[in-house]
Amino acid sequence: MAAHVLAVKELRKVFDTDQGQVLAVDDISFELSGDELFTMLGPSGCGKTTTLRMVAGLETATAGSIFFDGEDFSGFSSFQRNIGMVFQSYALFPHMTVFENTAYGLRVRGMAAADVGGKVGRILDLLGLGDLAKRYPADLSGGQQQRVSIGRALVYDPGMLLLDEPLANLDAKLRVEMREEIRRIQKELGIMSIYVTHDQEEAMSISDRVAVFNLGRLMQAGPPHEVYANPTSLFVADFIGKANFFPARITRSDNSGAKVALASGAELALERLNAIEPEEEAQIAEGFDATVMVRPEHLGIAQAGGGGLPCRVRRIQFLGSTIRYHAECADAAGEVIVDSTRLVGGLEEGSEAVLAMAPADSILYHKGQAR
Amino acid sequence: MTDAAHAGPAVARLRRRIDWLPYAIGAVTIFILVVFLLYPIVKTVMFSFVENGKELAFANLTLINFERFLDGATFTKSLWHSIVVGVLTTIVSTMLALPAAYAMARVPIPFRNFVLALSVIPIIAPPFIGAYSWIILLGRRGIITHYLDIWFGIEMPSLYGLYGIVLALSLHYFPYIFLFVQGALAASDPTIEESADVMGASRWRILRTITFPLVLPTISAGALIVLVKALGNFGVPAILGGEYYVLPTLIYYQVHGYFNLNAASAIALMNVLVTLVAILLLARVNRKRRFVTVTSIARRAKQHTGLGAQIAANAYIWILLVAALLPQFVILFTSFAERWGGTLFPTAYGFGNYITTWEETTTPIINSLILSSAATLMCVVFGTLAAYTAVRKRFKGKWALDMTIMLPFVLPGIVTGVAYLTTFNSGLIVLTGTATILILAYFVRRIAYMYRAVAAAVGQIDEKIEEASTMCGATWGRTMRKVTVPLIAPGIMAGGILVFSTLITEISVTIIIFSARWKTISIAIFEFLTSDDVLEATTIGSIAIMITLLLVFTASKLIGRNMADMFR
Repeated sequence: MAAHVLAVKELRKVFDTDQGQVLAVDDISFELSGDELFTMLGPSGCGKTTTLRMVAGLETATAGSIFFDGEDFSGFSSFQRNIGMVFQSYALFPHMTVFENTAYGLRVRGMAAADVGGKVGRILDLLGLGDLAKRYPADLSGGQQQRVSIGRALVYDPGMLLLDEPLANLDAKLRVEMREEIRRIQKELGIMSIYVTHDQEEAMSISDRVAVFNLGRLMQAGPPHEVYANPTSLFVADFIGKANFFPARITRSDNSGAKVALASGAELALERLNAIEPEEEAQIAEGFDATVMVRPEHLGIAQAGGGGLPCRVRRIQFLGSTIRYHAECADAAGEVIVDSTRLVGGLEEGSEAVLAMAPADSILYHKGQAR
Repeated sequence: MTDAAHAGPAVARLRRRIDWLPYAIGAVTIFILVVFLLYPIVKTVMFSFVENGKELAFANLTLINFERFLDGATFTKSLWHSIVVGVLTTIVSTMLALPAAYAMARVPIPFRNFVLALSVIPIIAPPFIGAYSWIILLGRRGIITHYLDIWFGIEMPSLYGLYGIVLALSLHYFPYIFLFVQGALAASDPTIEESADVMGASRWRILRTITFPLVLPTISAGALIVLVKALGNFGVPAILGGEYYVLPTLIYYQVHGYFNLNAASAIALMNVLVTLVAILLLARVNRKRRFVTVTSIARRAKQHTGLGAQIAANAYIWILLVAALLPQFVILFTSFAERWGGTLFPTAYGFGNYITTWEETTTPIINSLILSSAATLMCVVFGTLAAYTAVRKRFKGKWALDMTIMLPFVLPGIVTGVAYLTTFNSGLIVLTGTATILILAYFVRRIAYMYRAVAAAVGQIDEKIEEASTMCGATWGRTMRKVTVPLIAPGIMAGGILVFSTLITEISVTIIIFSARWKTISIAIFEFLTSDDVLEATTIGSIAIMITLLLVFTASKLIGRNMADMFR
C-alpha cells in the first residue's frame, strides 16, 4: 500500500457570528505523509480544532484546499472521506453496546455480518476491551469509553485518524497511560494521524511533528525537539517549555552576530539571530529594540562576585533530577528560571547571585514579534 | 452578636434546637392531600360497587354498575370509543408533530422563537370552544364544507363523531410532542451525529440509527401526555361527539341526566383503568434506558441548508400552525359578527356582541378569576413545599408523596369531579354548591404542574448553597425565605402561570361540581353553545383566550423565557 499524503493549502475559515465575522483559521498550510503523528497544539480558540474539523469535512473551508492522495477533499462530504475520528466527548452512541458502537462503521460500509464480528473482535482485543463487548457506554469508565471511541474510529481501516483533544476528560495518570497507548496503536496500524491538544507535554511526548497554533495562524511546525530548541517566535518560545526573556537594544549587527545592551547597560554578544522574513531581518539592526530568549537549562547561576547579570535568588525547588532556581533580575522581563543539574554551592533563598548565558544558546528576536 | 450571647456559657449556643417548621409544614401538606385527594378517590371506588339508591355498606357491595360494560350497549361502546379516540389522537398528533420538530431543530427557520411561542397557543386555548369553530368551518353548513362542495364537488363526511373529535384533539395536543421533541433535538450532543457522519453514515442512516432512537424516549413521553389528556378530555367530545359517547361524556350524562353517582363512579373507575393501562403500556415501551445526551457545546447539529429542504420545512411548519390556530382565529372572527343567521358569512360586523353580553359575561369572568387565583395560591404554597421536600429530604415513603401528587395527573378531570361530588355531597364534610369545592378540586387537579416545575428548579440548585446558609446559623425557614425561594422563583412563577392559565377555562371538573352561584367562564360558554347562542359563546371565549395569552406572555417576559419553554 502506497503511503498516504495529506496536503492542506492556504486554509481559511471565517465564522459569521452575531458579533460579526470572526477569522478562526488564517491561511494554514501543512503536509503530512505515511504513518506520521502530527499534533496541532495551541491555546483554546487558536483555530486548531476548526482546522481538524475542516479536514474531517464537518466544517466548510472559506478558502484554501485539502488534498488527500492528490484528490481534492472539497468534493467529498464528511461521510465519504473514509476518516476515523475520536471526539473529546467520545460521542459514543448511548443506545448501542460497545460491540454495536464499534461495528457501526463496518455496517455502514455494508460488510457482511459474519465478517463484522471477527473484525470488531480483533480491534476490541487490540484495545483490551474484549470482555466489555456487551456493555453500554454508560456502564464504562472514562478510560474504557476512550478506548471504545478509538476502536470505533479504527475498525474500518480509515485513510487517516483525527483525534480532537481525546484525553481532556481523563485524570492525569490515565492521560499519560493512554497517550502512550494511542501512539503504540497508531504506529502498529501505521495510520496517518492528526492530534489536537492544548497540553504541550502531551504534544511533545507523542508526536512525530508538532504544529503550534496561535490566533488562527500556524506559528511553527517541526519535530518536537526542533520546535523546542529553535522556536521561530517569542510566542512559541514561551508556549513550549519554559523560557527567560531579556529586553535589549541592538548596538551592532552583521552576518556573524549582534551585540546588544540590556536594561542595566550590560553588553551581550549573540550568535543566533531569529529572522525569517526580510522585513524582520531589517529590524535586527543597530538601534532597534529586541528580546533575548534563553531556556532555563542554558542559564548558569553562580555566587555573586564573578562576572554576569546580578540577580537575587527567591526560591530554590528540588525537582529530583534538576534543581530549579527562581530569581529576580533587573534585566529580565518577569521572573528568571534556571535549571541546574547540581546544587550550586553558597546559594540560598535570598542570596545575591549572578546569571551567565552562552551566545550559542541565546536567541535574539526582533521586537515586532508579539509574545 | 448580642451581649447575651457573650454572657451565656459557650455550651448554650450549641444547645440542640428542634427546627419544627419543616415537620409542621410537612404535616399540613400530608393532611390536605389525604383529606382532599385520597379520601375522595377511596370513596368513589367504594361508591362504584354499590347500587344506586342503596346505603354505602358492606352488605350492599355489588358489581352491578360494571355489568353494564359487558352488555354491548352504551357503556361498552363508550369504553371502546374512548380507547379509539385516545389511540388515534396520539398517533395523529405524533405524525403531525415529528416532521415539524425535526424541521425546527435541523433546518434554519426564520422567527424561530415566534414560531415556538405560537405553537403554545393551541395548548392554552380552551379546546371545547375551539372544537365549536370546527363546526363553523367543517360542519354541515360550514365555510370550508361549502367551498369544497362548489369548487371541487367534494362532499365532506359528517364532522360529528370520531373524525371531528380526533381532528380537534390532535390539533389541540400535538404541540406537547412538538415542543418536547424539538427541545430534545436542539439540546442533543452534536458530536454524536458527527461521529456517525465521519464513520461514513449517510443523512438518512444517521436519522434512522442515531437521531430517532435517541429521541424515542422523548417522543413516547410526549405521546403519553397526549394519550392521557385525550382519554380524559370532556369538552371536545361534548361539542363534537353527537351520538358518539366516550367515557367522560357518558359520566356527564349519568350525573346530569340521572344523578346516578354510583354508575358515574363506576365509569370513572373504568376511565382511570384505561388511562393506567395506557400509561403502563407506554412505560413498557419506554423501559429501555433513557439516553440523555445534553451538551454544553454551543454548536448546533448539522443543519439542512438546501433550498428545497428550507422551503419544505418552513411551509410544513406554517401550514400546521395555521391549521392549529384556525379555531382560535375563527372564534375571534365570530365574536365580531353582529348578525349571522342562515348565511355563509356574517352580514354585519362590530363590537356589538361585547357590549350586549357584558352583563352576562362579567360574572363568570370574575368567578373564574377568583377561583383560579385561590387554587393557584394553594398550588404555589403546597406544591413548592412538597416538591422541595421530595427533592431535598431523604425519608421513607417518598414514593408515596410522589404518587399522591402525580395521581390527579392520570385522573381525568371529570373523574376528580365525580369523586368530589360523591364525597362532599353528604357525609362528614358537605361542600357542594360552594366556591371551596371548586378551589379544592382545582388545587388537587393542578398541584402536579407546580410540583414538577419546582422539583426541576430545586434540582438545578446545588444543595451546598443551602448548606452554606445553614452553616452560617440560619434556620430552615430562614434559608428557605432568603436563599432557596429567591433562587427557585422563576420555577415557581412558571408553574404558577401554567396552573392559573389552564384553570381559567377548566371544564372537566367544573362541569360536574359547579353551582348556579359559581358559574365559570367555561360553564357560560358551554351553556351558550348548547343553547346555540354562538355569538355570545365566541365573545366570552375570545375574552378568555385573550386573558390567558396575556398572562402567559407577561409571565414569559417577566421570567425572560420563551413561552414555549414554560410548557416543556
